[in-house]
Amino acid sequence: MKFLYRRIYWSYRKSSGLWYWARRRLTPAGWAVGIALVVTAAIGTDIENKVTYELFALLLSLAVFAMNSGFSFRARFSATRILPRVGTAGRPLYYKITVKNLTLKSQTGLMVLEDLADPRPTFAEWLAFHNAEDRRYPAFRVSERKTRNPFHIANVKSAGLPPLPARGEAEADGEVFPLRRGILKFESITVARPDPFGLFRAFIRVPAPQTMLILPRRYPLPEIALPGALRYQEGGVALAAHVGASEEFVALRDYRHGDPLRHIHWRSWAKTGKPIVKEFEDEFFVRHALVLDTFDEEPNSDVLEEAVSVAASFACTILTQESLLDLLFVGNQSYCFTAGRGLAHADQMLEILASVKNCADKPFSVLESLVMNHVTVVSGCICVFQKWDGPRKKFVEKLKALGLPLLVLIVVPPGGGFSGAGGDFTDAEGSIHVLEIGKIEEALARLK
Amino acid sequence: MKTPPLLLFAALLFWGWLSDFLWAGLALGVILELPRLVKFRWELDDADFNRIFSFCIVLNGVLLGYVLTHTTTVALENPSHGNTLLATTNADAQAAARFPCWLPMTFFPFMAVQVFNIRQSVPLTAISFVLRWRRRMGDRAFAGRYVDFSFPYFIICVFAASTNPPGGSRDYYFVGLYVLAVWALWSIRPQRYRFGTWVAALAAMALFGVVGIYGLHSAQAGIQSFNASLIQRFLVNHTDPLQTTTSMGRIGRLKLSAKIVIRLEPHELGRYPSYLREASYRNYLAPKQEWLNVGAIHEFVPISPNTNGSTWTLLPGKKNSDIVNIACYLDSRTPEGDPAGLLPLPPGSGMLENLPVFALKVNHTGSAFASGPGLVIFDAHYGPGTSIDAPPDLDATNRYDLTVPTNEFAAVQSAIAEMNLPAGSSEEEKMRAVEKFFLDKFTYSTWQGPDKRMDTNGTPLTKFLMTSRSGHCEYFASATVLLLRGLDIPARYAVGYYVHEPHGPGYVVRERDAHAWCLVWRENKKCWEDFDTTPSSWVGIESARTHWDDWLADMTSWVHFQFAKFRWRQANFQQYIFWSLVPVLLVLLWHIIFRRRGKLRAQTAKNQGAAAVVRPGLDSEFFQLEKQLAARGVPRQAGENFSDWLERALSERSLRDLRAPLHGLLRLHYRYRFDPDGLNAEQREELRRKSADTLQKITSSPPSSRS
Repeated sequence: MKFLYRRIYWSYRKSSGLWYWARRRLTPAGWAVGIALVVTAAIGTDIENKVTYELFALLLSLAVFAMNSGFSFRARFSATRILPRVGTAGRPLYYKITVKNLTLKSQTGLMVLEDLADPRPTFAEWLAFHNAEDRRYPAFRVSERKTRNPFHIANVKSAGLPPLPARGEAEADGEVFPLRRGILKFESITVARPDPFGLFRAFIRVPAPQTMLILPRRYPLPEIALPGALRYQEGGVALAAHVGASEEFVALRDYRHGDPLRHIHWRSWAKTGKPIVKEFEDEFFVRHALVLDTFDEEPNSDVLEEAVSVAASFACTILTQESLLDLLFVGNQSYCFTAGRGLAHADQMLEILASVKNCADKPFSVLESLVMNHVTVVSGCICVFQKWDGPRKKFVEKLKALGLPLLVLIVVPPGGGFSGAGGDFTDAEGSIHVLEIGKIEEALARLK
Repeated sequence: MKTPPLLLFAALLFWGWLSDFLWAGLALGVILELPRLVKFRWELDDADFNRIFSFCIVLNGVLLGYVLTHTTTVALENPSHGNTLLATTNADAQAAARFPCWLPMTFFPFMAVQVFNIRQSVPLTAISFVLRWRRRMGDRAFAGRYVDFSFPYFIICVFAASTNPPGGSRDYYFVGLYVLAVWALWSIRPQRYRFGTWVAALAAMALFGVVGIYGLHSAQAGIQSFNASLIQRFLVNHTDPLQTTTSMGRIGRLKLSAKIVIRLEPHELGRYPSYLREASYRNYLAPKQEWLNVGAIHEFVPISPNTNGSTWTLLPGKKNSDIVNIACYLDSRTPEGDPAGLLPLPPGSGMLENLPVFALKVNHTGSAFASGPGLVIFDAHYGPGTSIDAPPDLDATNRYDLTVPTNEFAAVQSAIAEMNLPAGSSEEEKMRAVEKFFLDKFTYSTWQGPDKRMDTNGTPLTKFLMTSRSGHCEYFASATVLLLRGLDIPARYAVGYYVHEPHGPGYVVRERDAHAWCLVWRENKKCWEDFDTTPSSWVGIESARTHWDDWLADMTSWVHFQFAKFRWRQANFQQYIFWSLVPVLLVLLWHIIFRRRGKLRAQTAKNQGAAAVVRPGLDSEFFQLEKQLAARGVPRQAGENFSDWLERALSERSLRDLRAPLHGLLRLHYRYRFDPDGLNAEQREELRRKSADTLQKITSSPPSSRS
């Protein structure tokens, strides 16, 4: 069976490679000529009854001439691109490409194409994806099967290049449409020249390796009153407005061993003759943790992507509200961002979320124990689950038993409804919400 | 990428000229260029384009059905059944081959809606059913992508023009094509090349094109130098009326497939022929284990059909007692390339009815050779008595029907001695003795061991008679013929099929039912009779070799049979297919015309329903105030809110006193319209009353200048 899969994988690589080559090399007119060539080749064999072979001969000569001239493009260029630091999946990304002509001959009518790193999966990744797809859909239900290509990471548009004078340079407008979050790798910039008939493009490739982080898609969130009680934060306002002591003076009291010297009120000491210190208000505020469930066997599931998007939406939005969300639990890692109440750690959270992958070799209990270790410092918890089963239900019950207010969001496949193995759940507080893919935005908008 | 002006017109004219649709081409071309002169445009959405493209596809299907089912009437100077049928078939084939020639007409509606649409392009999803399906499955990758159909349509036109046979105006095809290609390429040429370079490239293209055309001609000539019928001989396994090589003496198991090759349906239940003979042979060539016909006996004589063209009388005046309907394939070819083959006929066939072949020839060894469609279905009238086989050549010097080859003579005589026939036995007694001899002492086997191989000790047939005494039907038939001849009874070797397997209302004959038996001359009846000494167990042994997937082979054979019926026009369902497409077309038309209208109605009704529910406060009296103020020269702009507009309207000096009441009324109006709790009865009355008062004041105050 593996041999058969290897053959299929081999044909997938060859066909996708051929498709990529044809899509870049052929112009729209070239496509028309190519298709007509195939049709006339099939029909034109009947020389006695049709003159289609004359059309075939002309198209063939066109194609041969165009391809022949396509392999003789002699010029030298250097190219650079000015990329933004990050992009967002599902949002077009605009940037500038500068191409410099290194020869003494001016060039016109050129195009610029981006060469991304080969996104095609290895055999193991490809097999894992197809096995997951087969598990997901019943056999022979072709009509239900959605065509997905999780390895297609971005659409790149070609851009026209203004005339390049000798030794001169010109700027082109690059546009990339990232389809998925993660690292987008650029390998080189290709300068393309059409043949005299405008059918086939000749290439000169200029290496320009660069990477860019593509952040997850995000949904707008309403003003959410996150659950959770005020809790004393050790370290005080250091985590709140800015680094340093709070200005909130409360009273004076006797010095106790361990009080910082800077809190000594020198005037009072002078008056009373014993050390008196200033007492400041203790800092209490709501501090939330964001828990993202990445424990699923499927490597490229839509549910994970949507769960990440939901988590990213919270990571971005909650910071602009009154609460603080600076603890992130993903997989078997916890991240704490103590930079203050700025927006800096939102970027860091998004960067982590951009690279999250499903973890198939560890149980959910890993995440559970991680959260339990930090439960004393959080006043509320936002959990984004990929499914609802026994371990997740137990985890939620444990947190509830600790008196920790929760907001549980369970992402489910489209049309799948909520039929988790965890069974029925008691949700008197209305803290558990099911988000069906395709209707997530609506469901999030209904949160209060 | 849009075609330059008049290119489509020229392409359609070119197509019309070459395809004898000049006026149609002219009319279509004018219609497509009309949008350059008139401003009339449609506003069609993606769904409309989808439906119109589907309509074009169905139109193509209907047209294809029509050309495949339409029978062309051919007038010939010297009409005969054969050449008329042949000419008609060729004309039909040519008409079907010219189907692509109609493509500019069938795709014209789609092209026309593009040029008359506001957006001068078509959605990409319209022209691909796969993309439509992907879009329905939620794939948005192709949503919003539009393409221009004019260049593809241009290619369709020049392609359609090429599907006509050479000769006449078609000799100028390349010249016209080249001109149109230059025109089209000029419009898309990259600006970076100088005119001279571009012209040189065009010249090179023309040169390559001409060289390519001559190259293709040479290749065609080279292929034709092979004798197609010679190649066919090696590819197709068919019965040769001149000779047949037996499998006697070969090593291994004989294996034939379960493929159904003949279907029979007797007109009277249960009365069917046991044997269907394709050929018989007189001479046995022992060293090669070959049966053949020497002399003029195998030469075919053409026969003419009756006046209806499909009834062929083989034996005039013969009374045939039974009729069986036979469907069989003609799987070899004439030198001209037409399907041809030997017909499997029941013994004593006198007449063949409803046989749609171009020509039929028979010989004196009972073979009927037909050339015509690849599948023939006919009624064979047959009965006991005379047949088309020539009587034995007892008076001739050769006496082929009584010859026993020298190599086999000793074995035959030994076997006859073993039968212990009393001297002076009758013909009947001899035949019974031979039958009993094989029945008692021989067994059926498809396994051919080395003991049957030809060597210096004897021929395979000698070994069969003397030692092994087991073999398949060819051994039994050959040995029987030689034994009967040894007993002075004329006999011949016959090949064909044994019929035994009921299937539905009739019978089927599989490839593994191929059989060899013996023809014996009955002097008293003056006719040849089938005489089969192969143990009857052979049918059981062959049938026992069924495989679990035989049902699949049967189904494949059935599909092949139905397709052959359709292809060779042996059934009427071509017409059914054609007419079945008509309702599809009508449904599609209904879908295109009425579904959209229905949708619009439903949408309007929905909007009206929605308005009644979600838009309260439309009866607010404030609107009358708005109208009155607008009449004084301050209309509310689109997108301007009431508050801003009121400020603007109140800039008139005479209305300054009304500022406070008008703002109060506006607040009430807003609450009436947008407050979920609305106004209570008292407030509603207040709005009504104050609005009436204010309206009165506005009406009574004369217009004045603005501050």
